[in-house]
Amino acid sequence: MYRIRLHGRGGQGMKTAGRILGSAFFLAGFEVQDAPRYGAERRGAPIFAYVRAGRTPILERGVISRPDLIIVADDHLLAMPGAGVLSGAQPQTAFLIHSHEKPSLWRERLNLQGPVFTLPGLPENELRFRGAACAGGAAALIPELNIDLLAEAVQEELAPLGPELVATNLGVARMAYASLAAHRGAVHEGGPVSAGEYTPPGWLTLACEEPLLSAPAIHAAATSELSQTGLWRTERPIIDGSRCNRCWWLCSTFCPEGAIQVDDERRPRIDYGHCKGCLVCLAQCPAHAISAVPEEEAAAQGETP
Amino acid sequence: MSETHYHHLRDLPSRHILGTGTPMCAGCGGLATLHQVYDLMGEKCVIVNGASCLTLLSVYPYTPFRGSWLYTAMACAPAGAQGVRDGLDILKKKGRISEAEDLEVVVLTGDGSAYGMGLSATSGAMDRNLDFLYLCYDNEGYGNTGQQFSPATPHAAHTATSKGPKGYPGYKKDLFGIWAAHQPSYVATVVAAEPLDLARKIERARSLTGPRLILALAPCPTGWDYEPSATVEIGKLAVQTGIWPLKEYVDGRVVHTKIPHPRLKVEEYLKAQGRFRHLFAPRENREMIAEIQAGVDRYWQQVEQEQEQPRS
Amino acid sequence: MTRKLLTGNGAAAWGARLARIDYLPAFPITPQTEIIETLSNWIEGRELECRMVTMESEHSMLTAAGAAAVTGVRVFTATSSQGLLYATEMLYTVAGWRVPLVMVNVSRGLSSPITLEPDHNDVLAMRDCGFLQLHCATCQEVLDNLLIAYRLAEHPTVRLPVLVNLDGFYLSFTREPVLIPTQAEVDRFLPPFNPGSIRFRGGEPLSEGVAVLEGAAYSYFRYEAHLASLQGIRVYEELGQEFAGLFGRSYTALECYKSEDAEIVFVMIGSFATKAKEAVDRLREAGKKVGLVRPRLVRPFPAAALRGALAGKKGVAVIDQNLSPGKGGILHGELASALYGMAEAPPVLASFVGGLGGRDISSEEFFEIHKAVQRAVSEGVNPSPRLLYTEEELRGVRTMQSVARAADTKQGGGA
Repeated sequence: MYRIRLHGRGGQGMKTAGRILGSAFFLAGFEVQDAPRYGAERRGAPIFAYVRAGRTPILERGVISRPDLIIVADDHLLAMPGAGVLSGAQPQTAFLIHSHEKPSLWRERLNLQGPVFTLPGLPENELRFRGAACAGGAAALIPELNIDLLAEAVQEELAPLGPELVATNLGVARMAYASLAAHRGAVHEGGPVSAGEYTPPGWLTLACEEPLLSAPAIHAAATSELSQTGLWRTERPIIDGSRCNRCWWLCSTFCPEGAIQVDDERRPRIDYGHCKGCLVCLAQCPAHAISAVPEEEAAAQGETP
Repeated sequence: MSETHYHHLRDLPSRHILGTGTPMCAGCGGLATLHQVYDLMGEKCVIVNGASCLTLLSVYPYTPFRGSWLYTAMACAPAGAQGVRDGLDILKKKGRISEAEDLEVVVLTGDGSAYGMGLSATSGAMDRNLDFLYLCYDNEGYGNTGQQFSPATPHAAHTATSKGPKGYPGYKKDLFGIWAAHQPSYVATVVAAEPLDLARKIERARSLTGPRLILALAPCPTGWDYEPSATVEIGKLAVQTGIWPLKEYVDGRVVHTKIPHPRLKVEEYLKAQGRFRHLFAPRENREMIAEIQAGVDRYWQQVEQEQEQPRS
Repeated sequence: MTRKLLTGNGAAAWGARLARIDYLPAFPITPQTEIIETLSNWIEGRELECRMVTMESEHSMLTAAGAAAVTGVRVFTATSSQGLLYATEMLYTVAGWRVPLVMVNVSRGLSSPITLEPDHNDVLAMRDCGFLQLHCATCQEVLDNLLIAYRLAEHPTVRLPVLVNLDGFYLSFTREPVLIPTQAEVDRFLPPFNPGSIRFRGGEPLSEGVAVLEGAAYSYFRYEAHLASLQGIRVYEELGQEFAGLFGRSYTALECYKSEDAEIVFVMIGSFATKAKEAVDRLREAGKKVGLVRPRLVRPFPAAALRGALAGKKGVAVIDQNLSPGKGGILHGELASALYGMAEAPPVLASFVGGLGGRDISSEEFFEIHKAVQRAVSEGVNPSPRLLYTEEELRGVRTMQSVARAADTKQGGGA
């Protein structure tokens, strides 16, 4: 059975990518299971989806703990332990990463043993086609899938978007497929867990604990600040100190997150650890002192948050 | 409003006390409203919440609040407020807590609860003259479940359950009027895009006791389909086109705190949002746009007439 | 201490009064109304320093009750039947907050068809919500168990809401002699409520009722509530002993009546258990070795005590005044799971459903139940579940059906 896990952010089309792959497998005669997994998170937050494809009815269910292929739509997620991208990766697990970086760099950085492939990044305004790109790239790596099955699956899944968007997505998917066609067969089907030889789950017997511990209540202030929502950002607002007229209040008041504080000299400072990159500040700054830079670019320029 | 502390935008709080790092969407109009209100109120309040997007502000072990928070259920946040208010009053009366330990009680829900499921509990709380502030962030649909239409959805809007060419066939319920009919202490509409107006209304509301509603239009990039950066612009357009009248009810009178002049055409507001795209493409639906415009015009004509008439 | 004739509702009101409740959110429903009316009069007459607020529904009533409890005051409330079901969402919610409060439920059958008569389907529908459940058989027990309920709910290990159940009509409107302890005596047993750190206060951050969107943490919190509930068995037994020391009446998780040497045992909850006792006495006079075991606690379920009390018995008759359609009597299933696999499990565990919608259970029926179980024991076959229902009753229903023209309509007449 193929077990594929897709990681991306809300809004990057990972659910769609999973469905395209699921449909392609189904059209190829496989038994299929695909599903997205939602949490409380919103657009920009890490999410994942998964696809199983086998030759007999699939009895496994739920989260894939030992993926054969991990697809990463956004390479920033690899730096977020909370996103769980590497969870359950086996020595033979293949990686398909949407990244400008070279595969060798990721292999080294993450100490990966299995094959690693990257997809060329799309221009920023085409973020929403990442799903099609990931599905196209993955289809190229799986021997039982081909370009025709991929095209049919894209059409089936995206038809409600209208012919124009279907065509664009199809183009992106084909391009990604072509870029990895030489690596056909790089992803291998994994086997089931052995009942004869396995690591026991390490059960314990829960003790009754005092209600202060065992009631779901939070006895501290503003613990949400431990969540680094800055990692959701794809574009970074940057304040040009020389143009800021230190109006005191505007970007700071309008920031929905409260992520812009103003110091005693009326200088606004953006908390990049938490700024989600909505760019309301940019839109509202009367002095046009705020510009947006793609996050990759900002990071490359060493403008660390 | 000569007694206000908020004359200029720079009189607004520059320190923000609501914690960052929440799971709300980038550009969330509801969160924008809450953070402005929380800055004004301070942390000495208990927010009693009913099911809505903002319920997910507090997901164990994370909370943005520095004071208190209680999630109840979708139908009954005002009843939760009743229990907390009564509890605190009993403790004060019996001398078991000091004034310093007291808290303001604030209900926080979306429109699904405020306009629909929670309306019975809200009406009951007003019947009992409960001393509480109700903050409704109105994103005009069941946003937390993917923006299906709610009783607050405007006519013709596309939602996940009104995707036809005519959009939502119903009309937005007049929650302001429903509240005012109960003759509570205070009812006001606000929008985070007009922070000075919002601050004055919070200030006014807090100077009063009894049931008080702050009804905030909360532009929602995800549900209304626009770029997150446009959240403030959309809010401003809602006011400038007259679609979202800024007003308050106090002492039995309704006063408009900002009369848009000149009033922009409703198109300006509608065409900025994907949920109204079907009114402009593939073909412009002039009839529907005219109907929406006529509704807004009628409202403001009535306002003008009432202003001309001497008060009895 | 005074001895007075009190209804079950009156006893419940006295229990709440003596517990010095701070807060009473209410909503009227038959047959609970006398409780809140009585308390309201005492509050009005300044005999009780308590704030009462009439909410617009039971759902809101439970919300206000839980919210006030988490603010740190002692809360009492009461409902029945449809009201209990209407509040269901909040029963689960409030139990999850781990706040102590006491609620009386006056048991009444559920709609549809709507009825005013009692059975236990309402309270047993709330089996899984996290409230502890104390079931009373007499008006005295109602008063005493209300006092114990506060100690149980507020116990630092348990800290869960407690439901005290009394049967509509058979207790709620029935007067019996009840010993009312003095306030000073009760104060020695029940100190003021100390909410500890789970409370809303200015200057102390507390986010309560937060979402838990992750299986491991959710499992932990839910299972901890279960473990805390289980602790309630030991705590109830300890409180029962302490109560006996002060008031001379003892309470245990199980009431065992002549069951020690019995071969056949009736098992039931609530006020009709006193009718079972009467039947036991008559059967004993006739030379039958029979007894009664009555759980006072239904949640937590006193499984170990039941195993102890029923070990080695030849036959057990569970009489359920409730019905789970498609399954049968609820207590029968609960008991079977407690006894399964026990070395000395009674070979016969028979199920009888009776008393639905206020239907009486006569002495003759108890005798007949005994006879049926005796026969099953000698034949070695567990009997099929039986509804206690007579030919005469069906004749009566047939008369009603003819008035309702049900049969005519069936044949396509209708006119």
